[in-house]
Amino acid sequence: MAAVLLTAAGSPAFAKCGNVTITEMNWSSAAVVTSISKFLMEQGYNCTVTTVPSGTVTAITSVAETGEPDIVTELWLSGVPAYAELEAAGKIRTLTHVLSEGGVDAWWVPQYLIDDHPELATMEGILANPGLVGDRFHNCPDGWGCKVTNEHLAQAYDLAGAGLEVFDHGSGETLAAAIAAAYESKEPWFGYYWAPTSVLGKYPMVKIDLGTFDKAIHDCNAAEECATPGKSSYPPAEVITAVTTDFESRQPEIAELMSHVSFTNEQMSKILAWQEDNNASSEETAVHFLTNYPDVWSTWLSEVARERLSALLQ
Amino acid sequence: MALYSDFFDSMGLRDWCDAGTTGGPQTMADLLARTHSGEASEASQIVFPSLDVLHSACSVIPRTRDFTAGLEHYFLSVKDPVKSVLGPLTQPLSWALQGALDLVHDLPWWLLVLTLIVIVQLAAKRVRITVFTALVFAILAFIDHLEPALQTLAIILVCTFICVLVGVPIGIMMSRSSRLERLAIPVLDMLQTLPTFVYLIPLIFLFSVTEPKLYGIAIILYAIVPAIRLTNLGIRLVDKDVLEAADAFGMTARQKLIRVEFPLALPNIMAGVNQTIMMSLSMVVIASLVSAPGLGALVLRGINKLELGVGLVAGLGIVLLAIMLDRVSKAALERINKSHKA
Repeated sequence: MAAVLLTAAGSPAFAKCGNVTITEMNWSSAAVVTSISKFLMEQGYNCTVTTVPSGTVTAITSVAETGEPDIVTELWLSGVPAYAELEAAGKIRTLTHVLSEGGVDAWWVPQYLIDDHPELATMEGILANPGLVGDRFHNCPDGWGCKVTNEHLAQAYDLAGAGLEVFDHGSGETLAAAIAAAYESKEPWFGYYWAPTSVLGKYPMVKIDLGTFDKAIHDCNAAEECATPGKSSYPPAEVITAVTTDFESRQPEIAELMSHVSFTNEQMSKILAWQEDNNASSEETAVHFLTNYPDVWSTWLSEVARERLSALLQ
Repeated sequence: MALYSDFFDSMGLRDWCDAGTTGGPQTMADLLARTHSGEASEASQIVFPSLDVLHSACSVIPRTRDFTAGLEHYFLSVKDPVKSVLGPLTQPLSWALQGALDLVHDLPWWLLVLTLIVIVQLAAKRVRITVFTALVFAILAFIDHLEPALQTLAIILVCTFICVLVGVPIGIMMSRSSRLERLAIPVLDMLQTLPTFVYLIPLIFLFSVTEPKLYGIAIILYAIVPAIRLTNLGIRLVDKDVLEAADAFGMTARQKLIRVEFPLALPNIMAGVNQTIMMSLSMVVIASLVSAPGLGALVLRGINKLELGVGLVAGLGIVLLAIMLDRVSKAALERINKSHKA
């Protein structure tokens, strides 16, 4: 504590940053983003940062009910219909798309299946050979936005007619474990998942073409009631960093910083691949990013912060 | 950390430590040291020699994550043999659960409810409880929760039946051998305290998520404990004088068990069965995380979608089922106890 006070008092323009709370979502890319942001806020802006382990829904509920945590990062908007209401009520504001190109929602088949049966790379191939993918489509758990969309897509492609059973998972954990388990014993698997995630980083999967993206068709598919489900792939998912309006007016400088923290899919995939290869923690992955991509994050910082972190930027 | 480096140096182990190492990823501490160069850092502090700390001083020593990764590799390597043994062994559980769920799905609702009410009347022989049961079903049907409630009931009854079938004999064996009791009690403690997801996820690697036995095993492992414990306790609490009398009459061990110990221990065993029913009910929400149908799935949907009402109503449905199961089983047990005393 004394050391913190000393550095704070000793530094040149001492910005009053104070306490910041930021979510750490329970998947790897989010943990890395949070770890990087935490370092920049603490070392560049003298904040005292508390990370709050959280999930999409819990984070948004918490913001709605208590106005905490201050910053929610890697929020997949498709998973939280309540977000629009909160934004309209002026409780929360979108700062940036933290994955600048958006996340990838899709249907996937493991690479090893495609190696043996190249025809499985298309929907037609899967519908003609349901046995090769285990007669089953692995769907999202109840309550996730993708469950509704997938069900409508399943109707449009007539999975049931082709002999494919749509299996709703009980939780995201079992969906991920099902992929891992199939991969370990090289069993058939076909289902929904999203990227960038450590699961898809670890287990190479091939994305199935669900047709060209058509906004009208997709909007119908995504709605709870859809009379005419059609074939349309998912649009790039909006993955954002949000901040409570309260915090934004209190700490405009930090909000400004967080509005720059953004990654392309290529960057994020590279970072996650490095993490996987080195069996590294999210904190070490953040360190890897901070030491190897200084030209990326130096543009995010304010003048003062850049000066404070100059030792790292040389 | 310098402390430990010096230690390895002074022991002359440096060559051994650095043999064939690549050096781990840079840690946050290293990075902070770079930003605050010149400031005294943790050199003055004594860091606990955890695996990670020792690794940074001597890179031959595995890090904690190498340790956990090793555990993972071990599990995956024994997975196939374990699967070939456990798979067929647990298959009847899948059939029983699937059969019970199909029954709920295929039979008309009125026949099922009527049958259950008749069973309650025959088991408890108390009109008040039978009326209460009918009322519970009526409420559940009124709020459109009858089918999930019956699914939950089917799962619980199958699991409880297996718990009794397996748990009571284990309890009897434990009461016979103090050695077995000493060995079994830590296992029972572990089953009740280990977070369920810890063994659910490895189970997914052994079986497929789509098999009902996955949640069946989860429920049984958790709910079987009171049946075992209270059977053991009940038999151990049987009056020694009574046993002496039985010995004096020249009863064999088997006769003693069936005609003296078991009847006298029955109140305790039945209390264990009642507890087993209640504990399997408390597992339904967790079982739904591995795709069990029923009221638990509705609770989860409510939580996932932030629909407080849906979650609350389904949760209340579980409470109603719990009260019903508790009253019915207690009344039935009382009757059995009385008939044995008479």
